[in-house]
Amino acid sequence: MLEFQGGSHPAFEELFARYRGPLYGFFRRRLNGDQRAEDLTQETFVAIIRASAQYEQRALFRTYLYSIAMNLLAAERRKQFRDSPPGESAPEPATGDAPDAVLWIRQALEKLDDAEREILMLREYEQLSYGEIAELLKLPVNTVRSRLFRSRMALKGYLEPTRKVRDAAAAGDAAEIVKLTQAEGEAI
Amino acid sequence: MNKTMHPIEPEELMAYLDGELPADRTNATAVHLGECSECQSFVAELCNVSHTLKTWKAEPPESDAPAVATALAENRLKSRNTFPAPRSWREVLGQRWPTVAWVGAVAAILLLAVGMPMLHRGRVDYAVSQHGDAIDSAVVTKTVREQTEERSLLSPQPPAGQKAKQFDRLQTFAKLQPAPPTKYKRWLQDQSAGEPGPLPNGPMIIRTAELSLITREFDKTRANLEAILKRHRGYVGELKANDTTGSGRTLTATLRVPADQLDATLTEVKTLGRVESESQSGQDVTSQYVDLEARLSNARNTEQRLTDLLRNRTGKLSDVLSVEQELDRVRGEIERMEAERKNMATQVSYATLNATISEDYKAQLQVVPPSTSTRLGNAAVEGYRSMADGVVSLALFLLSTGPSLLLWGAILFFPARLVWKFAWRKVRRGFAA
Repeated sequence: MLEFQGGSHPAFEELFARYRGPLYGFFRRRLNGDQRAEDLTQETFVAIIRASAQYEQRALFRTYLYSIAMNLLAAERRKQFRDSPPGESAPEPATGDAPDAVLWIRQALEKLDDAEREILMLREYEQLSYGEIAELLKLPVNTVRSRLFRSRMALKGYLEPTRKVRDAAAAGDAAEIVKLTQAEGEAI
Repeated sequence: MNKTMHPIEPEELMAYLDGELPADRTNATAVHLGECSECQSFVAELCNVSHTLKTWKAEPPESDAPAVATALAENRLKSRNTFPAPRSWREVLGQRWPTVAWVGAVAAILLLAVGMPMLHRGRVDYAVSQHGDAIDSAVVTKTVREQTEERSLLSPQPPAGQKAKQFDRLQTFAKLQPAPPTKYKRWLQDQSAGEPGPLPNGPMIIRTAELSLITREFDKTRANLEAILKRHRGYVGELKANDTTGSGRTLTATLRVPADQLDATLTEVKTLGRVESESQSGQDVTSQYVDLEARLSNARNTEQRLTDLLRNRTGKLSDVLSVEQELDRVRGEIERMEAERKNMATQVSYATLNATISEDYKAQLQVVPPSTSTRLGNAAVEGYRSMADGVVSLALFLLSTGPSLLLWGAILFFPARLVWKFAWRKVRRGFAA
């Protein structure tokens, strides 16, 4: 980033190539719609280019990048909330090689507390360290660690019954599926 | 999991998996994990959750980024115009708008035409440096190899048909996940997947044998023992020979022979005399060895990360010094563990044979009486010694009790004198009467 600030455009191209994929994933997993995720990815880079003169190396570039992305994401969510009437936001099933598996993960993640989900996703998908997450969310590192632990434990619990149902389906055990589904319904 | 049974908290196990545990807890955690099956299964479950989450992939579409290209072109223009006299972009755009628009458009086209191959190249570089702080050396090697292939593909200009293939390969790079930091974690994952990973060199057993022999021809036995050792490529670790009066000679030796030669050596040594006792034992150190390997690999990773930190980051002098100190500590630990590992390997490859060989003792009658002159001389020496001892004892007694005697004498002198006088007077009166 400092090289780009000094006028090296290949340095920016390298940054773009390095972070475009992860940043797209960041927006795609948090918003509905491929195009919007792509737009916001580009907007993040545009913001970086425009603010390059004011950039100061106080932390890792990755933290700086994701802090801009978090701001854009918050703005986008506010905009979506304003534009659409409440209760209309149906999650769009993500596309991919295994849509049902992705849907299953999305549903489990949606059951988590907002703050805990954000920490978990930053760790698992963006591969940020505890320190980076703490800096990004303005939280103490120990809080990040304990929330991450809580969210992983909760997610483990959410994924487990569904996994059993899937395994039973793979084994063709109809009675087991019914039993597990009923148990899950009662739990909910 | 309760704390008395598990010295490591579940949260710490999670931090260990994430490579976020402080160095002083990392070793303790690795040791505990090597021993505790409950914690191993917990770790496997955590890995499973992460693995499941990773199945949700989100790849960016293969498209240009026009907004970024335009912003970059603007930025380029701005930096060119603001050098050497910095001016705001509003001034530039306000004064030379048509020129700026033209130059911007041309630059955007040029960027799109020339910049795309560079963007691709950049993506390849990304794979090398994205997780530079935690990436495994194997992954780096693989990536660098593939990067070379990519560059040869890109040079001089790839034909149109290859572009899609090239993009696929680049997408594969983007999917590259950072490898788990230690071999041990991979082993753990293998364990959790129900496929036990191969142990370093099969079971590792330290063999020890004890043998006690009685022989009639002691000198010959010792020579034979050395010959046997030579034949089996062994060596003497320690050797003690005793020849005390009133008992036979004994030889206590610690012999080291290659583990596969121990049985043959034992058989041959037993022929040297009558076996009084024999015992064999084997200590299985496989798990200790695996654990040591894991700790060593972990420490090497830490060392690598610290070296990278020193090389790539700038900071305060105090920070650099503390990283240096930490690096010194980690290196010391690595050396200690390597020595321990070497020692363990030597113990495994060389078995220990503790042999005690005693001579069959025959008691002998002593028939040489001492001469008269010797006896007289001895008696004179004894007499002189007892006299000197008596004098010294008296002097010691006087010195130790003299002061007390003087004191009591002084105290009792006058009452005794009075009693004496009174008694003497009485006696005299008796005589007079």
